[in-house]
Amino acid sequence: MTKSNYKLTKKDFNQINRRSLFGFQLGWNYERMQGSGYLYTILPQLRKMYGDGTPELKSMMKTHSQFFNTSNFLNTIVTGIDMAIEEEEGIAGQESIAGLKVGLMGPFAAIGDSIFGALLPTIFGALAANMAVNGNPIGALIWMLVNFAVMFFRWKQLEIAHKEGVSLVTTMQSRLTAITDAATLLGVFMVGALVATMINVRLSWTPVIGDLVIDVQNNVDMIMPRLLPAVIVGAVYWLLGKKNITSTKAIFIVLVVSIALSALGVISK
Amino acid sequence: MAVAWWQIILLTLYAGYQILDELQVYTGLAQPVFAGLVAGLIMGDVTTGLIIGGSMQLTVLGIGTFGGSSKIDANSGTVLATAFSVGIGMNPEQAIAAIAVPVAGLMIQMDILGRFANTFFAHRIDTKIEEMDYKGIERNYLMGALSWSLSRAIPVLLALSLGGSFVNSIVSVLNNQLLWLGNGLAVAGAVLPAVGFAILLRYLPVKKHLPYLILGFVITALLTTVFGNIQVLGGSVAGVVEGFANTFTGMPMLAIALIGFAFAFKEYKRTTEAPKFQQMNGSVSEEGEIEDDEI
Repeated sequence: MTKSNYKLTKKDFNQINRRSLFGFQLGWNYERMQGSGYLYTILPQLRKMYGDGTPELKSMMKTHSQFFNTSNFLNTIVTGIDMAIEEEEGIAGQESIAGLKVGLMGPFAAIGDSIFGALLPTIFGALAANMAVNGNPIGALIWMLVNFAVMFFRWKQLEIAHKEGVSLVTTMQSRLTAITDAATLLGVFMVGALVATMINVRLSWTPVIGDLVIDVQNNVDMIMPRLLPAVIVGAVYWLLGKKNITSTKAIFIVLVVSIALSALGVISK
Repeated sequence: MAVAWWQIILLTLYAGYQILDELQVYTGLAQPVFAGLVAGLIMGDVTTGLIIGGSMQLTVLGIGTFGGSSKIDANSGTVLATAFSVGIGMNPEQAIAAIAVPVAGLMIQMDILGRFANTFFAHRIDTKIEEMDYKGIERNYLMGALSWSLSRAIPVLLALSLGGSFVNSIVSVLNNQLLWLGNGLAVAGAVLPAVGFAILLRYLPVKKHLPYLILGFVITALLTTVFGNIQVLGGSVAGVVEGFANTFTGMPMLAIALIGFAFAFKEYKRTTEAPKFQQMNGSVSEEGEIEDDEI
């Protein structure tokens, strides 16, 4: 059991961050997903720790090229904790590191996906899209600035995770839950707002009773403005809850049904 | 052929780059709204690009690649729809439903192909680990960028080079013989964002935050109606009254977002400071009473 005495420097952190930011998912594949990407981000540091050509290095490289998949926004938190342990334990920590990686990738994937995959796009993507359909690129540029801010945090989290080690996961837990809870609230609120503004179709159905023409849309507006968009979203929501309906299928079903209803003169723009 | 060769090259390059951006730095350039902006800039009609990009953005809101599932490729769809819409003069909303969505759906297969291709490089890396060939590991790893970007660039290149006359004939049919379908496609383009919203609702804890869904919807529905009607009124009055120079803007979405943010902030405060809450209530009112007693 050789204990490596190499300690990571600022330069190493920068190198890991560079490799993570510009290449973490390039090698994504079905078999190992981000496995080889994980190895790629820390390869230079592994070589410094275990020394080129040693059997320890080879065995560690194999460990780090195994299956791995987490949020590509939070992956360096796992890397940081992993590196802290390897500095201490070296090859002796091989099994605990493999276990730690498998244990952490799930929770961080869930947190990362909900924050970066759902919430930010809801809030900023919606703003950007809302302005874009009116021909205004400002919203898109604001979103880009937000993404640069996210990048800044991605750059910082590696060192924090390395310093705090495993305890970080427990201390973050309660605060993250509160933030995620508040953020999902904002997300839900915004979706409600989007439903009311972004689906611009109206009922064009005007039944005639005797010599009275009934403007259905007008009557619906008296009950609740923007009711039709809400009903449409509700219907798609229900549809998505069905078995074997993927988002792609839902998009094509909506496409066909909209064309049919438009041809029948029920809805129009 | 209305899309110039240099435009095809630039659009192809963008299509190849955007997927890498999404995988790595995530600047936002890999979002449909930017695909529309970039394609619009290249084609010389930013407004059309933004309309198509914005609508596609809403359609795929909340569709992330969770655990490596393929999602529909709204970016390539947006690029092609924008190019043909501007180049051939197709109505943007028709282009969304007739080009962007089908293309995005077809491109799923290319995404799967790209993800498969990289398995080959992963095995090459295993061999290189055995050989202790560090440079080889890195080289084979970075090769993955090729399969990713080619999986997007090649189809876009082919479609742009060969699809022009085909799209041209579609457009003329939609505006003449099949007018009902042409109108239907435009309506469908307007309805599609509903899918994006429904997916988000499936993903967010709706039952827990249901009151806020109602608040968000009702506040916005009322305000957007009021703002919309004022704009119509303003337009009509300006047509009749000379010297009436007020222009009324539409409802600012950011204001709505701020209301939502206030609710979210309260919720955060409530969950983090629950135990301290009762103590704070007492002291404030007591101070007020002490001042009264000095009379």
